[in-house]
Amino acid sequence: MRYSLFPGCIAKNLYPSIEKATSIVFKELGIELVEDPYTCCPAPGVIRSYDFDSWLVIAARNIATAEAKGTPLLTICNGCYGTLGAADRFLKAHPEYIERVNRFLATVDMRYLGATRVVHFVDLIKESLPQLKDAVRVELDLKVAIHYGCHYLKPSAHGGENPERPEILERIVECLGCESVDFPEKLSCCGAGGGVWSGNEDLSLAILHRKLNFIKEAGAECIIDICPFCHLQLDQGQKRLKTRFEIPVLHLNQLIGLSFGVKDKILGLHTHMVSTRNIAKKAKKARKDLFEENEEKEI
Amino acid sequence: MALDLPTIIRNFDLRKCMQCGKCSASCPAGFESNLRTRMIIYMAKSGMDVLDLNELWSCTTCYTCQERCPKGVKVTDAIIFLRNLAARRGNFPRIHLTAIKAIYDTSNGFPLTPEISKIRSLLGLQKEPADVAHNEEALSKFRRLMESIEIINITREAQK
Repeated sequence: MRYSLFPGCIAKNLYPSIEKATSIVFKELGIELVEDPYTCCPAPGVIRSYDFDSWLVIAARNIATAEAKGTPLLTICNGCYGTLGAADRFLKAHPEYIERVNRFLATVDMRYLGATRVVHFVDLIKESLPQLKDAVRVELDLKVAIHYGCHYLKPSAHGGENPERPEILERIVECLGCESVDFPEKLSCCGAGGGVWSGNEDLSLAILHRKLNFIKEAGAECIIDICPFCHLQLDQGQKRLKTRFEIPVLHLNQLIGLSFGVKDKILGLHTHMVSTRNIAKKAKKARKDLFEENEEKEI
Repeated sequence: MALDLPTIIRNFDLRKCMQCGKCSASCPAGFESNLRTRMIIYMAKSGMDVLDLNELWSCTTCYTCQERCPKGVKVTDAIIFLRNLAARRGNFPRIHLTAIKAIYDTSNGFPLTPEISKIRSLLGLQKEPADVAHNEEALSKFRRLMESIEIINITREAQK
């Protein structure tokens, strides 16, 4: 199956390591990703807060781009999923708006039809769990703190996991031979959304600080996220706090890449703000064990 | 087109609010700031003016309040539309104009910098993504689209 990858501004322009890991993981899973000319999703927190209709038109433009190619739209960011998924649902539920949106899109020779779907990459991995299991070559044995973020789970109107008791990331992480540690307020916000990251830095960092305290106490070796915006907040935000948490942050696709036996440098772990050295070391050791085992088998 | 207050009250079921406080108790921003979701809903449904409250902009739109509301009040959606009204009044964090301008100029909220472009090359990715930002014709079309929508008027008004 072919999917049109919607990388989003942050994975493209701030954390290309996430884009790289995504391309490696989906190639290994036998899923073809194509690139199409997209704009900002646009961000649900800022643009939608100013003018809902403007937000809808820009989102519809992006959905129409995938539609024209006949491919579903694959997001690797909760924010992009929040926007594109919600805009698509809204338009499908309110056909009278489609005509209105299309009047704007006509000025740039585009048209929204409602003929494609918006998919979060975690849901695609969920469908591909058997292939994922087969592709795992390295047992990482890491204690990870899972951060779901908000817009993959909520609003629950889009279906999928139970927002109060989701399970999919725990299942994926177990598949990779890692342990998911429990901690209070595991499902709470990272503090970046809703325009708070840019509009109210003190508040944004206070929410982050609270969450990181819980994660530190739980003894996690790293944090796993499924959203580049949460990733930005968890990684760069740690550097802005006075407390030195130094908890490495990985996008799920990077953890999967490591489990596939891909080297940390290829996955761009060294480009993160918080050092990922300990994770890289552990992954290297796991790869070495695998290598020796294979050699032994050959002998 | 922004919804007026009576329409927000109706569309998002604000009248069903019984002031139980589950929204405020679930709010991650409320732990750390003076955002009181329950108060905002109370004021809005009573027809009081909430548009000048800075707290309106403290919501991270995480939707926890909306998910947990026992009466099905669409709390987060209502806050987003209240913000739409506040924005027309010119009450919003001015820093957001930078993000809107970045989207108009480059089609991205976070534009590509030369440093990241270098990292992209080192990782074996295309130096510049194959997006609208790096396609002159597509970018000028996108700007034309931006020119036709309301958000441009709101931001221009704010910059006067």
